[in-house]
Amino acid sequence: MGTWWYTACRGGRDVTLSDLDIARARPYPRYLYCRFAILALALAHTQAHDNPFVGDPKAADGGGAVFRQYCVPCHGIYGKGGRGPDLTRGIYTAGDKNSDLFRVISNGVPGTEMAGFASDIREEDIWRVVSYIRSIARRDAAGITGDRANGEMVFWVKGGCGACHAVGTRGGRLGPDLTRTGEQRSRAYLRESVLEPSKDISPGYATITIIKRDGAKLIGVERGFDDFSAQLMDASGNYYSFLKSDVRSANREMHSLMPDNYGSVFNSAEIDDLLAYLMSLRMAEATR
Amino acid sequence: MKVIGPLLAMVLAALAGSTVTEQQLRDAQMDPATWLTYGKNYLGWRYSELTEINTRTVSRLVPRWIFQTGFVGTNETTPLVFGGMMFVTGPSNSAAALDLLTGKQIWGYHKAGPSGLDLCCGQPNRGFAALGDKLFKANIEGTLVSLDARSGGVLWEREVADYKQGFTMTGAPLVVKNKVLVGIAGAEFGTRGFIDAYDAATGERVWRFYTVPAKGEPGGETWEGESWERGGGSTWITGTYDPDLNLVYWGTGNPGPGMDGDGRSGDNLYTCSLVAVDADTGKLRWHYQFTPHDTHDWDAVADPVLIDIVVKRQKIKAVVQANRNGFFYALDRTNGKLLTAAPYTKIDWTTGIGTDSRPVIVSGKEPSEQGTRACPGLGGGHNWSATSYSLDTRLFYFGSTDGCELFYRHKQEFHQGQWFQASTNSSFPDEPSTGAVVAVDPATGKTMWRYEMLERSSAGMLATGGGLVFTGDSQGYLIALDSRTGKPLWHFQTGGKMNAPPITYNLNGKQQVAVAAGASVMTFVLAN
Repeated sequence: MGTWWYTACRGGRDVTLSDLDIARARPYPRYLYCRFAILALALAHTQAHDNPFVGDPKAADGGGAVFRQYCVPCHGIYGKGGRGPDLTRGIYTAGDKNSDLFRVISNGVPGTEMAGFASDIREEDIWRVVSYIRSIARRDAAGITGDRANGEMVFWVKGGCGACHAVGTRGGRLGPDLTRTGEQRSRAYLRESVLEPSKDISPGYATITIIKRDGAKLIGVERGFDDFSAQLMDASGNYYSFLKSDVRSANREMHSLMPDNYGSVFNSAEIDDLLAYLMSLRMAEATR
Repeated sequence: MKVIGPLLAMVLAALAGSTVTEQQLRDAQMDPATWLTYGKNYLGWRYSELTEINTRTVSRLVPRWIFQTGFVGTNETTPLVFGGMMFVTGPSNSAAALDLLTGKQIWGYHKAGPSGLDLCCGQPNRGFAALGDKLFKANIEGTLVSLDARSGGVLWEREVADYKQGFTMTGAPLVVKNKVLVGIAGAEFGTRGFIDAYDAATGERVWRFYTVPAKGEPGGETWEGESWERGGGSTWITGTYDPDLNLVYWGTGNPGPGMDGDGRSGDNLYTCSLVAVDADTGKLRWHYQFTPHDTHDWDAVADPVLIDIVVKRQKIKAVVQANRNGFFYALDRTNGKLLTAAPYTKIDWTTGIGTDSRPVIVSGKEPSEQGTRACPGLGGGHNWSATSYSLDTRLFYFGSTDGCELFYRHKQEFHQGQWFQASTNSSFPDEPSTGAVVAVDPATGKTMWRYEMLERSSAGMLATGGGLVFTGDSQGYLIALDSRTGKPLWHFQTGGKMNAPPITYNLNGKQQVAVAAGASVMTFVLAN
């Protein structure tokens, strides 16, 4: 696996706030425990670039106001996640140092829905947001119950989820790519997505229904939809594009093509296992 | 105003050299070869009598040239056109003069903004104002700069307000006589709004009108304690001017902190209002407050459009506005008296406007910690985008967002220069807001037609004598609608999000349509 250093530096497990407290108590930053000089160099930069508001309780309040301005649509009003990760778990997949959070807020995370805010939020307020995110992290970080290995079987075999969803290079392309879903979505959101797939549709995954002039009907997943045209992909992966003026009707419905009966297909243990598997899907999985 | 004859048009076109006179600004509606001020004329109509591009010919409309600005960001400019050039501003303190014939850049302007800018809404800019051979432009860090229209050289630059306190500037200035009027943004940072007038020649400040009165001044009693000091009332969209009354009309934004009204009990004058001020002195003549003690961020900054309407067989000098709170309003512009208030979108915060001209408030719509549903959402209704009045149809056109949102309130301590809204809004994923172009009869407030769009759009409106309304949608389409019916007649995918209003003008006797989309500015003409 290509990211052994990543795991080594993180102690091979998810980092919680208590880890961070321990890290702060260490005489040297966490990365000095890692083996690679290049990481040390990166850390030296980081050290010079740490949160100037550490220990300032007012910073978290100010950061909360900025957070509510910019971050709520994806991370929720209290940071508990939704379309974006749950930030109260104290688990930050793009790095757990203050400087990592600063970098992610500033520059975004390429390939995800996390945008960069460097041009919208000034530097000191980004640090305040970092303070706020630290302040809302629960110390009892929610443990993942369920058997990941069994969840993997549930996903690929019993659920047949791979017919539409990709993990890394494996699986279908009709539904959202789940390669990094464990770091992108909260557990509660993933549970909801499994049991009630239409409750919140990822942007671009609504259902498009085309009725052609000859009456033929075509249903697929949204690949584009605007005031004058519609693009879709059917269950077989075929791509179509229509001008609305050329068809009898073109409608987008904010419901998912994903079956909504997984609550009865899986028993509750299987759902927990499946969630354990989904929550384990992170960057490391992508490079396996 | 009569439709001008072709001979007069030619004479006017010949007179329109590379400078802009005060008289030309007053007569701007008469010259179809130019676009001299933000709203096309002082009255803010954004209407052109040109008819070459019309309901029958618009299907032949094709691109003529495209200019790539090189500046990524929200492009909200209203181009100015005179002297053979088009003058456009862009995001991040950029601007350019373009050759009208080819779109080639003649000169460019860029000033790096200071680091550490705290902004509510990016670094857009909505355009130049012009007088003589000078252009005037707001820079994001709260300065007003004058450029030589022939070279782009900086003639003077003045600080209007301190960006470190949270002030920024995005609106197009308004030239009235020899003064340059500007508004300010920053109500989300606990600032105190104002309108300023500067001497066009020297950049010296001539007057300032504070949109929030101080303690002891008339209106100061509508603020609790010292809350007026950070009372908001931004003025971030350009006002209009009635030369006969010598009054400037300007809309004002929300009080601060936006979502938490507890520490600022009272009406909070003159926020969420329309103010009429004397153009020479900046003294308040009258005001009308649309949303007293606002807690939903329903700015009243939208274009105040000056038109004459007939009510009960009586011609009245009116000012109309599509307000963010969901109502279309018509006021008597000589005295601020309410003539008409009619909802144009779903509204649940009031049961209507009472006989005292104040909204009758529905209780329980205040923002709360757990979130309170209210309609319209935070952006309105109609927000800021340019509106249009057609002399052809006598209809008023504007964009609308139709939907509801959750409004939150969280206590927040004030720190100068920091975001101070005391919470936020969020939308309902399963109930997305939609967009529309709305055509209202200004005499009655009645909605005559709506053109529905999937999403809200910030592209403004342009109405023409050719029976068309040009606008854009959020997905990059420039659209021409039949101004009588709202039927879409033509569209073009510009390849960039549209946040700017189209304009039109004659070049060598041929009608052009120009608009900014994405990071470019493009023009259209009829194919031969």
